[in-house]
Amino acid sequence: MTGITLAVPSKGRLEELTREWFAQNSMIITRPGGARSYLGAIEGMPEVTVRFFPASEIARELIRGTIDIGVTGRDLIHETSEQGPGAVHFAKPLGFGNADVVVAVPDSWIDVTHMHDLADVASDFRTRHGRWMRIATKYITITRQHFAKAGIAEYRTVESLGATEAAPASGVADIVVDITTTGSTLAANGLRVLEDGVMLQSEACLIVSRTAERSPPSQAQLDSFLTKLSAEIAS
Amino acid sequence: MTGAALRRANLEALVEAQGATRATPPLLLSADPYFDLAGEEFGRRLLLTTDATGAEHCLRPDFTLPIVQAYIADGVGKPAAFSYLGPIFRQRETGAAEFDQAGIELLAQPDGDIALDQVLTFARAALSIFHVVPHVRLGGVGLFEALLVQADMPDAWRPRIRNRFGHTEALDRLLTRLEAAPDMPREQQPSRDALIEDITAQMVAAGLSLSEGRSPAEIADRYLEQQALDAAHVPAATLKLLRDYLAISGPVLQALTQIEALASQHKLMLGAPIRAIRRHLNGLGEARVTFDASFSPRLDYYTGIVFEMTGANGQILASGGQYDRLLERLGATAPIAASGCSVWVDRLEAEVKL
Repeated sequence: MTGITLAVPSKGRLEELTREWFAQNSMIITRPGGARSYLGAIEGMPEVTVRFFPASEIARELIRGTIDIGVTGRDLIHETSEQGPGAVHFAKPLGFGNADVVVAVPDSWIDVTHMHDLADVASDFRTRHGRWMRIATKYITITRQHFAKAGIAEYRTVESLGATEAAPASGVADIVVDITTTGSTLAANGLRVLEDGVMLQSEACLIVSRTAERSPPSQAQLDSFLTKLSAEIAS
Repeated sequence: MTGAALRRANLEALVEAQGATRATPPLLLSADPYFDLAGEEFGRRLLLTTDATGAEHCLRPDFTLPIVQAYIADGVGKPAAFSYLGPIFRQRETGAAEFDQAGIELLAQPDGDIALDQVLTFARAALSIFHVVPHVRLGGVGLFEALLVQADMPDAWRPRIRNRFGHTEALDRLLTRLEAAPDMPREQQPSRDALIEDITAQMVAAGLSLSEGRSPAEIADRYLEQQALDAAHVPAATLKLLRDYLAISGPVLQALTQIEALASQHKLMLGAPIRAIRRHLNGLGEARVTFDASFSPRLDYYTGIVFEMTGANGQILASGGQYDRLLERLGATAPIAASGCSVWVDRLEAEVKL
């Protein structure tokens, strides 16, 4: 078996930017069937099969090892599984899709500026309000890891798959862990990022699966593909 | 019977011989109480499933919670003892998600010391079935709480320090922050009423409920407290005491002697909790026993004495202690003495093969 599989985002701005980035590196990704097709190729590189996937599925499949290499956000690798970062190799940051995963509290919480304030508030939240402090987020894995590191155990996450910034106003949660580029959406919703509240700095990356099984010829093809992109080859 | 089967039968017999009710809670349990009691940190270890109504269930991740819940539902008060041996389910980095635990729970016993002795004896007996002479690590939650309540500092700092006990990095960060607290001149603070008015306006503007979560008064009070705390330094001598205390770790007698010296130097009355630890040492036999002043589970319902027993490769084979606040946390109206432990059967079996 030879050949390698490259997965790229299937739609939106991320797809465009990914294809532009490859084009700048002299690789033209073709999508013969148009936007409804999920199979493509790179001109002049028959050994590479291109698949178009949603970004979160690219993260999952890289960790599982069903694809060799993919373009997705660093955040999604960390979020998909605790073992995610260990299962892949970040071969090259691509310089777009930059965003931070942050902890934000209501502006009115003037007493909370750092994670250690949050630890104090969380520790007696239950005594005061009869329930745990609630955090709305779609980043449950990242939240758990980061809060554990900060020594905060007394909270519950509420899964929020969209418009997380609205959760405090709608009463679903007290604070949020959300992704932001400029912070303006958070600010518009009366939320403020803690001074030490950046949990992860994410951007689109070229990522190699460490769990995918590759024959020696496929491995050589992968290494040469990475070299052409001046990306780092995994040790 | 082969070795493994014989050991299993012996463990089974030990669990039966505790003069306790054999507990067999259901395999499928509601997940909410676990999140409520132990938070997200433990929650990520659960094997979860959702029923048709959207309610979350988990495969039994431990025996203690369902045992104690059933005890409370039956009407608390009477001394009770439970023992168990059976599968539990947790996501682990290595090893199968299903594995056996054995253990005992002693509730509302008239003498907490005797109860803890029975727990330690059970753990030692279980380990000796697998020919393990463990390293026993003791921690003193009661001892630290006694020290904290007597140490010279502004009261508001005590719960903040207590809350971080058992999390070495978080506690270290707090102490470092306190040590570095600059001597800043206090700024003139706005009045409480003005603050509350301000915060209320901000909350209304952001569409936040004034009653559901944190209230304006709570935020204002904590803000003022925080400002006052920044000015109210923990004395350097107290910080040194805490650092010195938390660094104590070693052979138990030596460690306790060091703590006694520290106590007399700082005029602290720690005799009772230290004697409580000494009383249990006889029952531990030839095992190597260390006391680690900074050791505590990260769950605030532990009280008194806690312990871990490790084997040759450092894996925890048994852990437990006293948790007099657990029943209250689960809905009992007053604290009820509780102690217990669990032993990891698969790890014990692995010790035999080492």
